[in-house]
Amino acid sequence: MPSWVGKSLRRREDPELLTGQARFIADIARPGMLHAVFVRSPRPHARIASIDVSAALAMPGVHAVLTGDDLPEATAPQPCTHLYAGQRETPYHCLAKDRVRYAGEPVAIVVAENGYLAEDAADEVDLELEPLPSVGSAEAALADDAPRIYDDCGWPDNVVGEFRSEMGDVDRAFDEADAVVHERIDIQRLFACPLETRGVVAEWDPYGDELTLWTSSQILHIARDLLAAVMGIAEHRIRVIVPRLGGGFGCKFHFYPEEPATALAARVTGRPVRWVEDRLESFLATVHAREQIVEASMALRADGTITGVKAEILGDMGAALHTVGYGPVWLTSVMMTNAYAIPNARVHARAVITNKTPLGSYRGWGQPQANFVVERLVERAAQQLGIDSVDVRRRSLIPPDRFPYKGLHHVFDSGRYENCLDLALETLDYDGWRARQRELRAAGRHVGIGLSFYVENTALGPSKLLNAGGVQQGGYDISRVRIEPSGDVTVYTGLCDMGQGITNPLAQICADHLGVHPDSVTVVTGDTASCPYTGYGTGASRGATVGGASLMKAAGALRERVAKIAAHMLEASPDDLVIEDGRAWVKGSSSSVVTFADIGRAAYIRPIELPEDVEPGLETTAAFDPPQMAWPYGVNAVVVEVDVDTGLVSFLDYAYAHDCGTVLNPLIVDGQIHGGIAQGIGQALFEQLPYDEAGNPLFGTFMDYSLPTTMEVPRPRLAHQETLSPNIPGGAKGVGEAGAIGSPAAVTAAVEDALSPLGVRISRTPLTPSEIVRLVEEAAARAPERVPA
Amino acid sequence: MRIALTVNGRAVQADVEARRHLADVLREDLGLRGTHLGCEHGVCGACTVLVDGEPARSCLLLAVQADGCAITTVEGLAADGRLHPLQEAFREHHALQCGFCTPGFLLTADHLLRERPDLDDEAEIREALAGNLCRCTGYHNIVDAVRDAAARMREEAVGG
Repeated sequence: MPSWVGKSLRRREDPELLTGQARFIADIARPGMLHAVFVRSPRPHARIASIDVSAALAMPGVHAVLTGDDLPEATAPQPCTHLYAGQRETPYHCLAKDRVRYAGEPVAIVVAENGYLAEDAADEVDLELEPLPSVGSAEAALADDAPRIYDDCGWPDNVVGEFRSEMGDVDRAFDEADAVVHERIDIQRLFACPLETRGVVAEWDPYGDELTLWTSSQILHIARDLLAAVMGIAEHRIRVIVPRLGGGFGCKFHFYPEEPATALAARVTGRPVRWVEDRLESFLATVHAREQIVEASMALRADGTITGVKAEILGDMGAALHTVGYGPVWLTSVMMTNAYAIPNARVHARAVITNKTPLGSYRGWGQPQANFVVERLVERAAQQLGIDSVDVRRRSLIPPDRFPYKGLHHVFDSGRYENCLDLALETLDYDGWRARQRELRAAGRHVGIGLSFYVENTALGPSKLLNAGGVQQGGYDISRVRIEPSGDVTVYTGLCDMGQGITNPLAQICADHLGVHPDSVTVVTGDTASCPYTGYGTGASRGATVGGASLMKAAGALRERVAKIAAHMLEASPDDLVIEDGRAWVKGSSSSVVTFADIGRAAYIRPIELPEDVEPGLETTAAFDPPQMAWPYGVNAVVVEVDVDTGLVSFLDYAYAHDCGTVLNPLIVDGQIHGGIAQGIGQALFEQLPYDEAGNPLFGTFMDYSLPTTMEVPRPRLAHQETLSPNIPGGAKGVGEAGAIGSPAAVTAAVEDALSPLGVRISRTPLTPSEIVRLVEEAAARAPERVPA
Repeated sequence: MRIALTVNGRAVQADVEARRHLADVLREDLGLRGTHLGCEHGVCGACTVLVDGEPARSCLLLAVQADGCAITTVEGLAADGRLHPLQEAFREHHALQCGFCTPGFLLTADHLLRERPDLDDEAEIREALAGNLCRCTGYHNIVDAVRDAAARMREEAVGG
């Protein structure tokens, strides 16, 4: 069997993207379409005294202005799919009723002939708000006298969820430790920030009373089902279409208020309605991510072996739980042992409500936080014990003979962690850089080397694990494969293409398992009318693994039918056939060949040619639910130089060694890593969404939310190893989030190492130039003798 | 107000409100939806087009200001059913993922290579592209693609 899997095939979607022919949400235009703009709360917390829409409604070209009062009785609050045990509900509607709880919360939708007129009219909506006391940080939300943000729901405090987990004898581990380190880590609020903002187009069929909703979403069927639940209509009456997405990175994994609100506006006006988020509103209207305060301790033996870890995690969820509940906070807590065989661990997580934009998904979910905390503690421990942090890691990495390894919550599948560590050291030339560092330091330069080890949960499912944990979504995926009458092949998947290029590895998998050329395979995504149900949607680095495995099953079953038909035509046994490149022949006798076109014609047009026991049609559907997740892992190894006068960090080298099992398409895998690292560098050095104490946003444009550019992102040197996952047919592990998980910790370690002669210790990000200057000055005030001349 | 433009070599006229920006007119009135709006405040560069050969942010330019100008959009790069060398190189080097920022990069790079056909230095290419944001690729493959396209275009110029 020729293997298309593993080849760097060029991407099938590129020509249309490169020539401007791809259709994104803002490119969807329907006859008679109107344009919507949202009026949003300018205040973090207030009672809605009144909304006067009469002036707006009287403006020319305005068709409707709807507020919370206009929602039909049956409209349900915005739902969550992740219902963790004890998690409270934070009911809010797609258009606020009575009360707003964050700046940016939608209060009205204005619909007009074009976007300019809608903006004009939105300015004329007279919104009268009575300010309420508000809270801008998780710690303030926990204070005894903090305003209760859900007092109307009877909450006694602002804690929306709490989670504890423990294994081993933690107290004993800490009592008997040779060294204990403790750190308080502050991880800032971030925004996934795809270059394409979100958008929705809604159109009702006036005859069938059916809704078509185009939406920029990573959760095709889930968006449909949630919309049906919110609007109180049957799922089959809604068709959700996801056009090309200009990036997702998790923030489009959510079900947003604008989806039902736009659908309602289309129903009320009787016209198709399009809403496209503008960049400024995206900073408030699309979920934020990451923000946590973690107090954590690590216990070690004198030789550096990690014996215990404890963590108190405080997650700032913003004003409401958004689709995935407090999931990212939960995940941070159960990932607190990272890739290490730490026998004793205790975690306690609290998720609290504040008057800020709801917090949700972003590449890595809760994992970059856990990785940052554990890897900071490893560095701190190494400093205290006077040994290289590489050796601390090496002593405690889960060894190959202990897989499957049961950690705090998960079962880790396979890996050669220490090999990967060595691969990274070799790729970077760690010893060489340490020697150069000594020379450069002697010459007065602030050069630092930093590492991090990450492990990532991918291939989410399994369904049993998700459902038992409270997630109201499956962990399976389904693929449908059809051979058309022409012999061409169509694959239908519920996965969405956010730009990661999922259709390419799927076509490669299909080609291998069906016996065709990938160019003859079309992969259809993003339409609930034709695509099979996706259990969980496109996130958690699961598309190519879980979706790919379901496709292997479907294509394999279809191949058996192809073999039966071909064997009948060739008067041979199916077992004696070779099926390759869309043709079948008897092994050793290629003079007589049956093509997929012959088979397609027989299956659809001339069933007379089919064997007795084969039904007409050539289509199979198969589901795959993984028995456990797949765990890729890797190492970021970074060399930086810091200018202590300007605070600027520049990269001298960046090595990245990783193992994601079978590499399906090296081109795409490397691209995923590149992009993830760039986002991790953004987290480490630049990006943040600061709020004031009352929850007023202190950001708003790309001028203050600094995405890394060509000038800041170093070129990583990648090294791969392949250890297959026993849980996924074919052995692939996910890779979508990998780059973003360990990079913040490694970059931070390198910066700290560069500044360590000055006594600088780092426990929060981003390390902007001003933050670095502050750290240097603070260290100088503590130890003036260390200041460089 | 009635304006006349030459867009991708074709003379067009449009009746536009004075406040409409060029990107909206290209996208909505002329149906050239390859020009993407990523920020509408002139930072991300996704909406970059060439106005009389110079790169411009079409979200910051009113359509009426472009009256009488020649505009090149991403739809104007491929000729005779053949991808432009930059487009070829972007595909070859996996220089795009979601592709939303790509039209802006292509036009910025097209202008760059017209001005500097000799360009081969990575640092110079990075600096020239620093005004365009990409959230997917980490930029390295874009830089490689531009460098490779420059080499291809030099070869073609010699060969042709």
